[in-house]
Amino acid sequence: MADGLTKDAPFVSVLVAFADELRGAGLAVGSGDVLTFSQAMARLDPTDLLDLYWGGRTTMVTRRDQIPTYDRIFRKFFLDQAEALPEPLQQAAHKSADTMSTLVVPATDPGQEGQNEQQALGLVAADAEVLRNKAFAACTPDELTALRRIITRMRLAPPRRRTRRTVAARSGRVPDPRRTVRETMRMHGEPAQLFFRQRRLRLRRLVLILDVSGSMADYSRNLLQFAYSATRATSRVEAFCFGTRLTRITKALERRRVDDAMEHAAKSVFDWEGGTRIGASLEQFLRHWGRRGICRGGIVVICSDGLDRGDPHVLASAMEKLARLSHRVVWLNPHRGDNRNFQPNTLGMMVVAPHIDLLLSGHNLRSLEEFAALLPELG
Amino acid sequence: MTEPNFDAARLALPASVGELTNRLRGGGYIADRGLATALFVSMSLGRPILIEGEVGVGKTEVAKVLASEFGRRLIRLQCYEGIDTNQALYEWDYARQMLQIRALSERQLDDDDAVDKLFGPKFLLERPLLDAVRAGDRAVLLIDEIDRADDEFEAFLLELLSDFQITIPEIGTISATSPPLVVLTSNRTRELHAALKRRCIYHWVGYPSAEREVEIVMVRAPEASEALTRKVVAAVNRLRALELAKPPGVAETIDWVRTLDVLGATELDASTVQDTLGAVVKDYDDLELVRANLNGIASG
Repeated sequence: MADGLTKDAPFVSVLVAFADELRGAGLAVGSGDVLTFSQAMARLDPTDLLDLYWGGRTTMVTRRDQIPTYDRIFRKFFLDQAEALPEPLQQAAHKSADTMSTLVVPATDPGQEGQNEQQALGLVAADAEVLRNKAFAACTPDELTALRRIITRMRLAPPRRRTRRTVAARSGRVPDPRRTVRETMRMHGEPAQLFFRQRRLRLRRLVLILDVSGSMADYSRNLLQFAYSATRATSRVEAFCFGTRLTRITKALERRRVDDAMEHAAKSVFDWEGGTRIGASLEQFLRHWGRRGICRGGIVVICSDGLDRGDPHVLASAMEKLARLSHRVVWLNPHRGDNRNFQPNTLGMMVVAPHIDLLLSGHNLRSLEEFAALLPELG
Repeated sequence: MTEPNFDAARLALPASVGELTNRLRGGGYIADRGLATALFVSMSLGRPILIEGEVGVGKTEVAKVLASEFGRRLIRLQCYEGIDTNQALYEWDYARQMLQIRALSERQLDDDDAVDKLFGPKFLLERPLLDAVRAGDRAVLLIDEIDRADDEFEAFLLELLSDFQITIPEIGTISATSPPLVVLTSNRTRELHAALKRRCIYHWVGYPSAEREVEIVMVRAPEASEALTRKVVAAVNRLRALELAKPPGVAETIDWVRTLDVLGATELDASTVQDTLGAVVKDYDDLELVRANLNGIASG
């Protein structure tokens, strides 16, 4: 086969150039993949456009959502067609993403200046108690910075559930023949003690759905920070933002530096501080993520004030489905404040109330801590 | 399970995409150009193929037809949460080992041979993966719904799929002289690791065009009339346009045609659709939605 490749050296360079073009368009094409592609084309008929198309697609595309990009580049590279035609919609979306992301996140990273760091820490130490009970909405930017630093250190422990996987155990009901036989062998065939296995425990998945619309503006940035620390704390976290529509920000929050992650997340949210359509956003969540099992057996946390501009029927049916799909639904409503006897007063909150397992406020640090403390008990 | 006849012509790999398509068709599977090319590349390079796609578009069926058409044994590993090496690879027959130990006298146990025999082939239970490595190119290994297994299991598969060898500490390393055909399927309930995908040829199976779907149904349910089949396929396509939570796949189309055929229906009107809807739509919310649009579905 190597002969075949060298004989067709000019053709191979065309294939490599094509792979390069794909790489440029954002597909992760390794040199191993290019090799596979070339090998595949050696078996196929490289002059047949269809073979060329499918040979490349099957060896260099690894996800369904890469297919449109592949098609575009293929058309441009081999058919010499203009690039602009295929996806005007997506282009526009990216444009608006760039211009609409107006979120400015105050730097919470120490950076170069050690002195600032000292001051900031001092502020935290002295005022932490005061800050704890102060509503996020009433905080100054400096105080918010300090609060974010505290939130970063918060640790979330979702409840655990039993899995089908088993681990060795000291006692139990299911015997472990493997270990028992081994031990018996060691004892020269004398039946030794019985060993057991038990089901392993695993953390439940945590799904955060954050409202970033105008009415939640004062809170949503802190919630984003909260989401970031949540993804740091356990790996089984999914984070979403919504206003008029839903955006998944899990990937964006995976950056190591807090500020990078926050900025990245903010950029990927299209409708920062637009209107709120909770029902439609939740419906979108269910359709694209929920049905595929992202929240099955998990804890869903929705942070929103329940001021929904959409159809309450849509919201009610979406919440009902969500409650059925997930293990527990927690709603954080900042407007609840410290009022323990809070009665839902907006139409949205009244509609969702029957489907919520736990309603908390999340309007200040203390309530977020309260949530973190309650979380392990939701099992 | 009967061993298929090994005649050379059937076993030989296809020489071209066209030949592969024809042989699959001979087995009752209508593959489009994309799937046929992907399978051809996978077979000729000896790489596993990962098939993703909507539910009921024939992902699993491909492996079955490949096995029967190329005279190979189908070895199926159905994945589920918590599957581990004991269920996928091999396990010792502990109960028999225990009995054997009890049967041996003390003197015999000191004998190394007796102990070696305890961990010999006689007491080894082969699970699908070991079975497939042993069978080599006489088998098609179907790893079904890999997305249901935990991600730890994926990491384990990675090793197996690249070398096709298995090490059993007590016996040694068993490797495939030539690798089996490996077909992995996934319903995309979660994203698979990039490393696993890297090892595989990837293909996404979408819904077939109406024309091709008619062809598929005619092959699978030849007892039904073509006129009815066409109507059903058109109706199913209208259902797919409805944004259902679980859009019907090709399998549902076939089920529906068979159901209608059994009931002796020749026309597809609102009332027959209503009566037989259970064959295609299997989600309560979806049923509500479809019932509200019955007339549109039946006639279009």
